[in-house]
Amino acid sequence: MTAGPARIARPANAIDQTRRMLSLVTYLKERPGARVADVARAFGVSEDELISDLDVLPLCGTSFRGGDLLDIDTDGEHIWWHNVDDVAEPLRLAADEATALLVAARAVATLPGLRESDRGALLRATAKLEAAAGEAAGASARLSVTFESEGGVFADVDRAISERRRLWIRYYSPARDELSDREIDPIRLVSIGHTYVEAWCRRSEARRTFRLDRVAEIKVLDEPSEPPEVELRDLSEGLVQPAAEDPEVVVEVGPGGRWVAEYYPHDSAEELPDGGLRISLRAPDPGSLRRLALRLGQDGRIVAPRELADSARDAARRALAAYDGLDADRERL
Amino acid sequence: MAIAKAERLMNLALCLLGTRRALSKRELRDSIEAYVEAFQRGSAGSEESFNRMFERDKDDLRELGLVIETVENLDGDVGYLARRDSNRLPPVAFDPEEAAALGLAAKVWQQARLAGAASGALQKLRAAGLPEETGPESTHGALEPRIPVHESAFEPLMLACRDRRPVAFDYRKSNAVRPEPRQVEPWALECWRGHWYLAGFDRDRGAERVFRLSRITGKVRSRAGRFTAEVPDVVTVRETVASWAGEGGEGTARIRLRTGSGYPLRARALSVRELGDGWDELEIPYGRGLDAWLVEFGPDAVVLGPAELRADVVDRLRAVAKG
Repeated sequence: MTAGPARIARPANAIDQTRRMLSLVTYLKERPGARVADVARAFGVSEDELISDLDVLPLCGTSFRGGDLLDIDTDGEHIWWHNVDDVAEPLRLAADEATALLVAARAVATLPGLRESDRGALLRATAKLEAAAGEAAGASARLSVTFESEGGVFADVDRAISERRRLWIRYYSPARDELSDREIDPIRLVSIGHTYVEAWCRRSEARRTFRLDRVAEIKVLDEPSEPPEVELRDLSEGLVQPAAEDPEVVVEVGPGGRWVAEYYPHDSAEELPDGGLRISLRAPDPGSLRRLALRLGQDGRIVAPRELADSARDAARRALAAYDGLDADRERL
Repeated sequence: MAIAKAERLMNLALCLLGTRRALSKRELRDSIEAYVEAFQRGSAGSEESFNRMFERDKDDLRELGLVIETVENLDGDVGYLARRDSNRLPPVAFDPEEAAALGLAAKVWQQARLAGAASGALQKLRAAGLPEETGPESTHGALEPRIPVHESAFEPLMLACRDRRPVAFDYRKSNAVRPEPRQVEPWALECWRGHWYLAGFDRDRGAERVFRLSRITGKVRSRAGRFTAEVPDVVTVRETVASWAGEGGEGTARIRLRTGSGYPLRARALSVRELGDGWDELEIPYGRGLDAWLVEFGPDAVVLGPAELRADVVDRLRAVAKG
């Protein structure tokens, strides 16, 4: 199991830095002359961040003023601690630390389709961590996360990625309500609530993201997977990132349609006096939002573009006609 | 320039960990450069502001897991120390696969506080000998699980669940025009399909309730006092939310579907029968929200029964047809 490159950028935080420096002294104690690059990687920080920690450490000490400051220095490549002392013992985990790791590990372990060897490693690590954390692990039961995934599809995608093979999928597009066949070169599996495969789509010659529960059929092909080198996106802002040049869609919803603002990335959501929202969003193909217009019913309406509002109205009228037809059939019987 | 907070916290931690006897507040103040510099003796109000800073610093270190004891000596003076044996991580050894699993878990949180805590935990374990990943390329597949947290109510509720503190917040029910105040004893938070939910005891209703965090408006406020209701051993959030989402519905519905359309309906159909003329007849589970879902298929899906579902769908279609 490897984790991808996406890391969320956060402002430097004194608490996190203190925590890191406390672990750093323990780590350095066992490794005289440790390489800056290795230590930075082990601690999951950039070399610059590590160097800024190393600038602070010599100003810190175990005893009274003027006493035993940590004599830690670096030439930018290696790190030495000249007056190693015994203050640096591995520290117990805090409640939040135990919770953060345990909840995440338990969540990943429940992913349907995960390899049994990976699941086993997660469960063993979780059990050891619970034991080591002791009572600090208690609060972790108060948070839980479930990832949704299609186990069979997940396992095939996972195998295709590790064996570098192409996939054939029959994929459902909700916007067009149709299935289409395509060949894809998978790049990575991403779970954010639902699980997705990010891949190079040979048909559209572009990077696409496919939700696993919309894959109707899948086959691992014999051809090698050859996705072009693409820069992986940071997915923390969500999978769907509308482009600025996409046409604007304006939707007005009542209180019962406020969920639209949670499910659709949008430019703005303005409160309306009746407890509703005026939401403005972008879609590459506004026609794909006809489903939304139909779903909203009396809870909302499309304000713009006109064609979208018209097409929803037309679809509803045609649907109603089918009911009239059925009722007429019934009356004839 | 004021001495950075991280340097001050680090010195306080090392002093408390390094001492064999409890150190008084005065000793700590005189031995930590940041305190000496910030609170020149004799300047007005300095005692009070030092005390405030010292209390905050101790709280911050406790958040990092440090166990700081408060000891009173025979003269009644209060002193502080962080005993080695109560602050030491018990011996724990992970094999490389387990270490890789923890490395993956540490990157899952997209919430600043828990992401920081997860990295911090990994760093503590690293210092205790957790094996490092051998190279950027592993034989395993590339998997990126992410736990999204977009709701601002998450962090205060997480802390309130952790510390078992009652809270108050304004909550807008799904169809309500205005939010209403709620007083809740928060039990547990659960994330399902990317959204966070809270289960707890609603004091005004005197019963367990599940809240969707995105419907909490304004700030989550802490309330003094303890929980009044017993916390159940097992708190089930997901079952409640799944029933909101229309899963686990017991009835069935019969619909007509245009050939080739409505794959998701077909995927969960109990039976499919070809009618000819470009139509199929399906039997599908009937749970909450099915009417709204069926309307999405426009003229391609027609409800045959039950009559109640049919009426709901027709009502919705009329609302859209009216424009």
